[in-house]
Amino acid sequence: MILWWLGDLVLLLVVLPIVVYLLAGVLRAAKSIPERVEGISQVAAAGSRDLNAVPLLLTTQDQVIKTVAGVASYGGSLDIIIDDAAPER
Amino acid sequence: MAIFAFAAAGAVTIVAVALIVGALVFYLVSIILQLRRINAGLTEVMGGVSEMVRKSAPVNGVVRTINEHLDTGVDLLEGLLVKKAGMEDAVGLVDGLYPGSGAAGFRRFPESRTARPPRIGEVYTKGTLTLARLGREAPIAAASPAGPALRNAGYGSAAAAKLYPEPRQAHPPSLPRSPVVGTGAPIQYGPSPPDTISWGRTGYEAQAAAPEPTAPEPTPVPEPTPPAPDAPKTISWKRS
Repeated sequence: MILWWLGDLVLLLVVLPIVVYLLAGVLRAAKSIPERVEGISQVAAAGSRDLNAVPLLLTTQDQVIKTVAGVASYGGSLDIIIDDAAPER
Repeated sequence: MAIFAFAAAGAVTIVAVALIVGALVFYLVSIILQLRRINAGLTEVMGGVSEMVRKSAPVNGVVRTINEHLDTGVDLLEGLLVKKAGMEDAVGLVDGLYPGSGAAGFRRFPESRTARPPRIGEVYTKGTLTLARLGREAPIAAASPAGPALRNAGYGSAAAAKLYPEPRQAHPPSLPRSPVVGTGAPIQYGPSPPDTISWGRTGYEAQAAAPEPTAPEPTPVPEPTPPAPDAPKTISWKRS
């Protein structure tokens, strides 16, 4: 009989507080995660918006190709009209 | 009495178990709700990340192509510069434009790192170097340590004004304009009468008192007339 009462006391004074403490910690940690996830979501959306200019790289690529082609043509003309440097003695 | 004691102990046990189960239910249900919120948030994040991956997929290829073309342009210009100016002068020209960069040399010419660059920046004017910079920098816009001079018209004109100062000082206009001379001048002067010219000195005295030679001034040359045989000899510019 005494053991039963002791068991009840252990349940009420030891097991119940430990269960409540542990579950409260888990709940507290779980509640902190959605805030971080929301922040990550905003950053991902901002990063996605920043990448909207990526298609302009195709224009840049086209312009660079044309510019280098013009430089090559200009350099070829300069190569013809300007004498080479004298050989080093 | 014993039955009452058993019943009381059993009731306390039931209450304790009920409290524990109630706590478990409350907290576990709360955790489930939070996990559902986390799941929804992560789904949204996955959408944004997938979009980022999709948008950034062609970046590598495009940037690699741009770099290849820029490398080709740089190699072309460096090769042309070395071919036309020679290794040492080319390194000196680059070092004049970007002080200290001559030590880095050219990428395709390892021997350029050991070349001793002449001080071209101290010999040629800045305008000459700017013209050379146009050829080197225009298609491949590298940052200049001296600032964006090529794209700053005011800076360029100020530099040119320092190189070639205006003697008239037209900026701001402080000197009067040159007088109008010639047949279209507003004031016309007739020819001087011949008797107003003083030829009192002899040629020898005129040469002895002649001032230091200055810039020749255009003077009207009189028509050569044969001297009269009995006319007095009043001037002679030759030693007699």
